[in-house]
Amino acid sequence: MNALRRHRALTRIWASEPGWRGWFTTVNHTDLGRMFMLAAVVFFLIGGILAMLIRAQLATPRSAFMGPDVYNQVFTMHGTIMMFLFAIPLFEGIAVYLLPKLLGARDLAFPRLTAYGFWCYAFGGSLLLVSLFLGVAPDGGWFMYPPLTSRASSPGINTDFWLLGITFVEISAICAAVEITVTVLRYRAPGMSLSRMPIFAWYALVTAVMILTGFPPLILGSILLELERAFDMPFFVTARGGDSLLWQHLFWLFGHPEVYIIFLPAAGVISTILPVMARTTLLGYGWVVAAAVALGVLGFGLWVHHMFATGIPHMALAFFSAASTLVAVPTAVQVFAWIGTLWKGSPTLTLPMLWILAFFATFVIGGLTGVMVAVVPFDWQVHDTHFVVAHLHYVLVGGFVFPMLAALYYWMPHVTGRKRFFRLGETAFWLIAGGFHVTFLAVHWAGLLGQRRRIHTYDEGQGWEVINLIASIGGFATAIGFALVIVDVVANAAMAVRGSRDPWRAGTLEWAMPTPPPAYNFASLPQVASRDPLHDEPELPARLARGEGYLGDPSRNRRETLVVEVASGEPAQIVVFPANTALPILMAFVTGGIFLGMLLKLYWLVPVAVLGVAALVARWAWSLGSTREEGPQDVGRGLALPLAAEAADPPGWWGTRFLLLANVTLFGSLLFGYAFLWTVAPGWPPAAYLQPGLAGPALLLAGIPLSVGGIRMTDRALRRGRGPWIGLVLGVAGAGATGLAATTLLLGTAHDAHAYDATVWVLGGYVLFHATLAGAMTLFLGARIAAGYVTGRRIGEARIVRLWHDYMAAVALLGLGAAWLPGLAM
Amino acid sequence: MRDVLRIALPLTVWLGAFSAVYGLEGLVCSERWTAAGLDRATGRLALVGAWAAAVALQAVLLIGLRSPRFASPSGFVRCVSLTLAGVALLATAWTLLPVATSTLCL
Repeated sequence: MNALRRHRALTRIWASEPGWRGWFTTVNHTDLGRMFMLAAVVFFLIGGILAMLIRAQLATPRSAFMGPDVYNQVFTMHGTIMMFLFAIPLFEGIAVYLLPKLLGARDLAFPRLTAYGFWCYAFGGSLLLVSLFLGVAPDGGWFMYPPLTSRASSPGINTDFWLLGITFVEISAICAAVEITVTVLRYRAPGMSLSRMPIFAWYALVTAVMILTGFPPLILGSILLELERAFDMPFFVTARGGDSLLWQHLFWLFGHPEVYIIFLPAAGVISTILPVMARTTLLGYGWVVAAAVALGVLGFGLWVHHMFATGIPHMALAFFSAASTLVAVPTAVQVFAWIGTLWKGSPTLTLPMLWILAFFATFVIGGLTGVMVAVVPFDWQVHDTHFVVAHLHYVLVGGFVFPMLAALYYWMPHVTGRKRFFRLGETAFWLIAGGFHVTFLAVHWAGLLGQRRRIHTYDEGQGWEVINLIASIGGFATAIGFALVIVDVVANAAMAVRGSRDPWRAGTLEWAMPTPPPAYNFASLPQVASRDPLHDEPELPARLARGEGYLGDPSRNRRETLVVEVASGEPAQIVVFPANTALPILMAFVTGGIFLGMLLKLYWLVPVAVLGVAALVARWAWSLGSTREEGPQDVGRGLALPLAAEAADPPGWWGTRFLLLANVTLFGSLLFGYAFLWTVAPGWPPAAYLQPGLAGPALLLAGIPLSVGGIRMTDRALRRGRGPWIGLVLGVAGAGATGLAATTLLLGTAHDAHAYDATVWVLGGYVLFHATLAGAMTLFLGARIAAGYVTGRRIGEARIVRLWHDYMAAVALLGLGAAWLPGLAM
Repeated sequence: MRDVLRIALPLTVWLGAFSAVYGLEGLVCSERWTAAGLDRATGRLALVGAWAAAVALQAVLLIGLRSPRFASPSGFVRCVSLTLAGVALLATAWTLLPVATSTLCL
């Protein structure tokens, strides 16, 4: 088969549906990556317009442009959109588009999950935009502190839009994080060991794990605040045992890692582009990997530095001040590695390079002002002033937006297949970089002079007038610069001439394919021997197109890629991907019913939507796998591998483990909240602690061994070719008994009496949910076994259900135990 | 997966220890501590003890990751994991230093 016929055959297998239908049914990562990026840019433009409204308002004292109500909505939505609807989704879009190409795979690990994540993002983001256009947008600041956002202070629907809309969008982030983690660890080209991974993949991996562990505290906080607002469960009401500081802890447990979740992908972009622009390799690859991992974990130890002004003891302040200064070290390691890379190479001043230089100047200033606010006495002086506003913009715009502009111009030839012809980008660069510094140097200054943030106006004679006017002029120059970037990109994408395949002479695999990329990425998959395969073998693209790599024969007529061993990169399995489907958009739509029901107080809609999601999940899972065993299949180059569906550790099992990591963090945050209230909240103890009695603990003690033992019995029976039914029945019975134990908790408490009761109610609900899930999954597994999808050789699904049973058992023991413990001790 | 654990473990243990000591400090300064008949000096002792235990645990991890039994067969992973174990040891010593030097509940 020649290259052209192979291309046609693979395109027929991998292409999305033609026309408008393709937008809604595609599961291809290139399409979805583009859709993510496009949507993120649209949100960026809306957030940017809101920023200009803010600067217009603050340009003059006593401005009548906006009243305080509108101003509150505008600054809240500006922050919310930029953080949740632009920065994170843009990273997701870049990762979704690039990772398989960089790693030498044909798609991400779970294509339908990518699509589901995108549609959750699109629907959740749209929900927030609707609130903006209806004039009922969130108005409590992007961090939504209670008691300002509690029902008493914010009785309208504004806060609910934030809590529910953002939680809906966060489903997308969790989906993407699971997807990215499994993809980086297992969906790589053969031979691509951990030490040969492109540096961007390391950054994406660290970022994805941070999302899995950083987002759940906010998801939990949003759920608790919404439960308080909707059902009067007083988690944050001091008079009834709650504490508004609990929200701050949960929010910043997410919020500070969020800064690194935004910065690390940008650092990955810098580490990828800079060596190419300097015509060399990255200096200190191993050190940069270590620095990225260190930053990813150390970033979780800083959350209280956003709470220095809340009156916590000096020792606690000192912990977080020390951690805040420490985190500068791995950041500096990266910056020195980049400077060293420039030093040893021969840099050329291209447009991506200009943006990287702007990043250096801006981010280093932002980092240094970060060290300033890490020092407690200084932080007390500038807390809630425009100095902090300027600091965070230096970090986020310098540390994310500028690198993303470098990425835009670096990978634009890849996305469009065209060579940049129009040169508006350089003019835009000077407008944006210059305008930004004019704006935010002035904002620093205003903050040092005492101008408070989130206040819609100021009086004359305070010395802030000229500074604010300068800041606003700079802001509008920046906006004009961004408009020019859009014109430049559109003009070049639409009219520029076709470009060469690897215009930057880079060594990474995304340039080893035609541009714009075909739906299947690689006609055959490469064997990799270094971090820069294209530098080792310039003829690699032609060889891959001729089908000389792995899986070059499309005759099985299905979407296939390879899975490798995590550390060594040795090929291990063949994955067969699902075809185009409308299931993800449909499921996202039905998922939206849960949030819409809560938002509009149509509570009947919530269980209906939950059942709808459950039915669609069952439909989704049923379409996986096969009822016949194929055994090892030829993958080319003299190698035969089993299908992932016939392996003990299929991708779904890996994905479940990482999803459970997010779940563990959520549950851990709940226990933290319980312990925090018990220790610190002033309104404790409650009138009475729950007495466990006999029935609840007995059901728990019976249910856990039945659940854990039953699913293991099923697993063993399947492997030995025996009937699995006794184990399945025991597993369902165990889950049922555990669920009943959790129900005794719900029946024994009044959810709205005291924060203790409310917390116990949530613990019980969490365990009941997982018991129901484990039971339902066991029944589903039984149906799959009966239909012939699961056997001793195709055991993966049974092992996934086992993970959920084990998790349910652990959280039931811990959760119900924690709920009963005070009653036992009294 | 073992190599990923070797890389992730030391700093994750730091995070756990850091959060636990912060929680312990909250407990020591709460009414629960005095209600249990314990005084502030005991609290300081508990905090310093927790700090010392966390440093010792990090030292054990560092030594373990150097040992032939637990070290990664990959030179790259060995280097990265040892670097991060060193970072975690220093981070534990530095970020929890206030248990010995700062006022307790002021």
